Amino acid sequence: MSPNDESIARQARLASSRRHFLRGLGAAIALPAFESVIPRGINTAVAAAARGLGTTSTGAPLRMAVLYVPNGVNQQTWWPTGEGSDFVLNKTMEPLEALKDKLQVFGGLDHLNATGGKDGPGDHARASSTFLTGVRIKKTAGADIHAGVSVDQLIAQKIGHQTRFPSLELTCDGVRKSGGCDSGYSCAYDFNMSWRTPTSPTAPEPNPRLVFERLFGTGAPGERRKNFAKRLGQQKSILDFVLDDARDLQGSMATRDKAKLDEYLTSVREIESRIQRAESLGEGADPAVDAPAGIPAAHRDHIRLMCDMMALAFQTDSTRVATLIFAHDGSNRAFPEIGIPEGHHFLSHHQSKAERLEKVAQIDLFYLQEYARFLQKLENTPDVDGRSVLHNSMVIYGGGNGDGNRHNHDNLPFILAGAGGGSLTPGRFVQAGAKPMSNLFLGIIDRFGIDGVERFGDSTGRYDAI
Amino acid sequence: MTRSPSIRRHSPSRLAPGAFLACLAWALAGSLAPTVAAEGESAAARFRDQVEPILADHCYGCHGNGLKKGNVTLDDFATDEAILGRKELWNSVLKNVRSGLMPPAGKPRPSSEEMKTLEEWIKRDAFALDPADPDPGRVTLRRLNRVEYRNTIRDLMGIDFRTDEEFPADDTGYGFDNVGDVLSVSPLLLEKYMQAAETIVATAVPTVARVVSAKTISSSEFRLVEGQGPGDRMSTYRAAKSSAKVRVEKAGAYKLAIDLGTRGEFNFDPGRARVTLKLDDRELMDAEFGWGEGRKTTREFALDLPIGEHTLLFEVSPLTPVEKKQTNVEFRIFGGRLEGPLAESEWVRPENFARFFGDRDDPKTSEGRREFAREVLARFAANAYRRPVGPRTLDRLMRIAEEAFSEPGKNFAQGVGQAMVAVIASPRFLFRIEGAEPIASTKGFVQVDEFALASRLSYFLWSTMPDDELIALAGRHELRANLQGQVKRMLADPRSDQLVRNFTGQWLQSRDFESFPIQARVILGADKLPRMKDDEVFALKRAMKQETEAYFGHMLREDRPILELVDGDYAFVNASLAKLYGIPGVSGGEVRKVSLPEGSPRGGMLTQAGVLMVTSNPGRTSAVKRGNFLLENILGTPTPPPPPDIPALEEALKGIKDREPTQREVMAVHRAEALCAACHNRMDPLGLAFENFNALGIWRGTEKEQPIDASGKLVTGREFKDARELKQILKAEYKLDIYRCLTEKMLTYALGRGPEYQDVETIDQVVDRIERDGGKLSSLVYGLIESSPFQRRREPAALAVSGPKTPEPGARP
Repeated sequence: MSPNDESIARQARLASSRRHFLRGLGAAIALPAFESVIPRGINTAVAAAARGLGTTSTGAPLRMAVLYVPNGVNQQTWWPTGEGSDFVLNKTMEPLEALKDKLQVFGGLDHLNATGGKDGPGDHARASSTFLTGVRIKKTAGADIHAGVSVDQLIAQKIGHQTRFPSLELTCDGVRKSGGCDSGYSCAYDFNMSWRTPTSPTAPEPNPRLVFERLFGTGAPGERRKNFAKRLGQQKSILDFVLDDARDLQGSMATRDKAKLDEYLTSVREIESRIQRAESLGEGADPAVDAPAGIPAAHRDHIRLMCDMMALAFQTDSTRVATLIFAHDGSNRAFPEIGIPEGHHFLSHHQSKAERLEKVAQIDLFYLQEYARFLQKLENTPDVDGRSVLHNSMVIYGGGNGDGNRHNHDNLPFILAGAGGGSLTPGRFVQAGAKPMSNLFLGIIDRFGIDGVERFGDSTGRYDAI
Repeated sequence: MTRSPSIRRHSPSRLAPGAFLACLAWALAGSLAPTVAAEGESAAARFRDQVEPILADHCYGCHGNGLKKGNVTLDDFATDEAILGRKELWNSVLKNVRSGLMPPAGKPRPSSEEMKTLEEWIKRDAFALDPADPDPGRVTLRRLNRVEYRNTIRDLMGIDFRTDEEFPADDTGYGFDNVGDVLSVSPLLLEKYMQAAETIVATAVPTVARVVSAKTISSSEFRLVEGQGPGDRMSTYRAAKSSAKVRVEKAGAYKLAIDLGTRGEFNFDPGRARVTLKLDDRELMDAEFGWGEGRKTTREFALDLPIGEHTLLFEVSPLTPVEKKQTNVEFRIFGGRLEGPLAESEWVRPENFARFFGDRDDPKTSEGRREFAREVLARFAANAYRRPVGPRTLDRLMRIAEEAFSEPGKNFAQGVGQAMVAVIASPRFLFRIEGAEPIASTKGFVQVDEFALASRLSYFLWSTMPDDELIALAGRHELRANLQGQVKRMLADPRSDQLVRNFTGQWLQSRDFESFPIQARVILGADKLPRMKDDEVFALKRAMKQETEAYFGHMLREDRPILELVDGDYAFVNASLAKLYGIPGVSGGEVRKVSLPEGSPRGGMLTQAGVLMVTSNPGRTSAVKRGNFLLENILGTPTPPPPPDIPALEEALKGIKDREPTQREVMAVHRAEALCAACHNRMDPLGLAFENFNALGIWRGTEKEQPIDASGKLVTGREFKDARELKQILKAEYKLDIYRCLTEKMLTYALGRGPEYQDVETIDQVVDRIERDGGKLSSLVYGLIESSPFQRRREPAALAVSGPKTPEPGARP
């Protein structure tokens, strides 16, 4: 077979298995097939959860997802009108109409640590890595990157022991730009949003197939539990060796090198505890669907598959925390699928030109359509307590830039969907006033039953009325 | 308070001895070890005596006496220590003055003596650099990046593991993806490393010592003997015969497996054909194929073959009248395998067996097994770790292997394989652990040991592990003594393509060419050019990448002058690029070197289509991006990105009625704004010089029906009329800037860290060497490899001593 045929054949396979997959997923979610994907033991695990840590008042799992939209939004078409429960969605948010009573739009949230200040240019890098950390990231092209622990990771570190995976970090930006990223900032800031420690970003996974296989094991439905267990067994057999090896080296290393090796050691320990957890939680889920084939060519398909992965992970309680980067802040992706040949970043510097603003609005709409689709999927998925998965979730949609032209970091786009298991009051447009987004993150941390977090990022108080 | 610098400046007693004094001070510092305070005093005194007058003359007009333009002030130091402590400030003074950005155009420039005094003071006093013992800077432990991992696995294991699909992208710093500080490890990545190690060993390491010999018959070996077209695909509507030949060296029983199938359009087509297969004269198969048999099926045949050449012959006879044809259905031969002789006495070593096990069968006794496993693992682990391994590591590996091969159902090779998995997941494989020589320099710097040097060389020039020759030299402690010859050998080796691909790929972004979302339809439409099909655009983008890589590869291998980056009289093109460049007489898909026709606007990298494309927006050119690309990657003086709140520029363009303004008109408005002018005056003229090339790099005379004016003026006031003249100016007047910029970029790539202030000395020495040697690229490569940061470390490394005496790393006394 010539390379050309190979690629044609591959594309055909990809297309067919993708259709297959999407169709299969729909089927899996419809009852009664649903029962089959709930891992055994989940109910007992839920009952055992101490003081509702990571659970709702009914004992169902409480989840959080964050979807990141880059380059700011068209302000004129984005913000709803009205206030409180009496509000009208603007043009861009039309896809959310059917879900209006399931979500809250917040105006006025800011990340002042993403502003230039003494650091000068670099708003895109700061937008990405400040968004979930709330801290001022250290301006460096690489020598000593430093942000803060992000809110998703903080929550995962507290509640992650209850699920097979503490968190998922996903991206639809698999290809990195060569050369520099944003004026003196390392690309680590642009392409990562979740930070495990202030110096360790968690690289997000771009390949939906690998996400699926990691969650459920490789192979066809029916074989996956076995393959998953096999993988754990193999991991165990080499962990001791590599741990000894790393410890040997650590003793004689310079400080900086030691810090790098520490990342390795920490990872070894995390995998060890994950293996123990997987064993104590009993058998995992094996959804009756084919695994996705890989990274699809179209951006929209890619986003959909990634959202499907998050939906599956939530539905099967494989994790309760997930983040997805649609594209990194500063992304200059063109949108041929909606007839936009210009790059997003280029357009976002719209200089108030009507034509560019309109195209920005269309891109905003494109992303919101996918958000709406994801929410609808969660809404259609029943949870263990009979409510929907969306009801028992907090699904954040937002970005670290307000208006792409102004590069402002106040009045940031921010939607919070889901009822947090009844702990939130959706169906509102809230003018929060100028407030650090970090205040709201504290409100979210509280809802997970996590105690003792007095401050987060640049918080000035707790924003609880959400 | 104003000083009277003119008097001081001309004081002859203070001119020349500056450098001498500095050297003397360092000589003293080495032998007498005076206190820091005393050192500080003399350096600060020299600042006041020699440097401050120059600054007063040229800088304080904006950056002194209470003025701090751009937030920079050069006369506000509370103490002497503060003067010397501001290393980043002095580094940017050095950069700005050297590049001519400061003092700004129109203001008198410092004389060359003044420049020398300033440079010397910054390097010797502010940075305390000793040219005889330069600070190597720090290097953080480097993890193999995706490219290096893939190459290393290929060389170590003999298989291709697709890290680009399996691992997440590496973070980059300073524009490169091999920077130690940002190459982090997360639990996800470690999980992937462990999984990868399993997969790699399972694929690469044979689990049995002998197998049936097998020969692959590829689809392309089938040739049509009757009919037209490729021999592995035949229409079911046309009679055809296709054959392939296989040679058999030994007589005996064989098994032939052939993969067959059909391929049709998505919609049903009635075409069917009868297909027969004959081996020599014997018929093996007689079957029907049609639309429904789309999937690949394997047919197997048992054969008894004598020595000699045998012919496989497929014959396709249509069964459906061609009138009924709707789309098409093809009969396909996907290839096959001939296995044999099947008799066990004829079995052979499996592929890749010798790489790991040599030529030896599984030992029969457990004692023999242990001994052999230890031997195999010692060799393997040393290869994988790029240095000898100690007995402790080996003991641990042996435990894994023995435990595994003692399990029921597992054999010797599987046990050894399990230990290999551990090796490939180990930090010693994933990180580049360095050792150091025992003796430190005056200032306490140490040479890296020769194994570390071997790895530094191989990952720099090849992006992979050192080969046997490098390791053998390091083992004998002879690598440094043979450095030049080894570098020469390595550059001549095809593996140095990796330097071209990974360095150029990121420095000039040629890695991004193929995925660049260029909107060809929009661009061609705007210039009223014929449309291109999507696959033509893709092929063109691929050729662009090949061109940029081939050009730099040629410069490297033929040791061309560095200035050919900016201009040259040749290009690397295939047919479609040649058409784009207007070069006649080139056919075929392979890029090759051609001379540029007289008067061609091409030549050098700046006018390569790929570079012109990747510095455009997806739908149109961008003078700003092109200008800044040149500043950042060729001249080494990037501008900061735009500030927020860019005002709408439309008002000013209202004078232009009934047509869209050109890029130049838009940019002119831009530069009229004071807020924008400072940077845009630097970027725009450089970018607009290339407006004759559209976003696909195609030459054009007009934009939006207005003739293109590519002329411009540099901030220095130097005028040029188009890109060609601009290139001449760059070559003639910015030579040292170009050398320095490329040196900084390659230093970053070679060391895996960004340039820091203390590297000024190294960079200056390399630039001097390039200049001395007539600007050759090899001077840069050799200069960097022989430099202090490449050869040495600041502090003793992980492994304190090198050579065969290496104790077990980390072993406790």
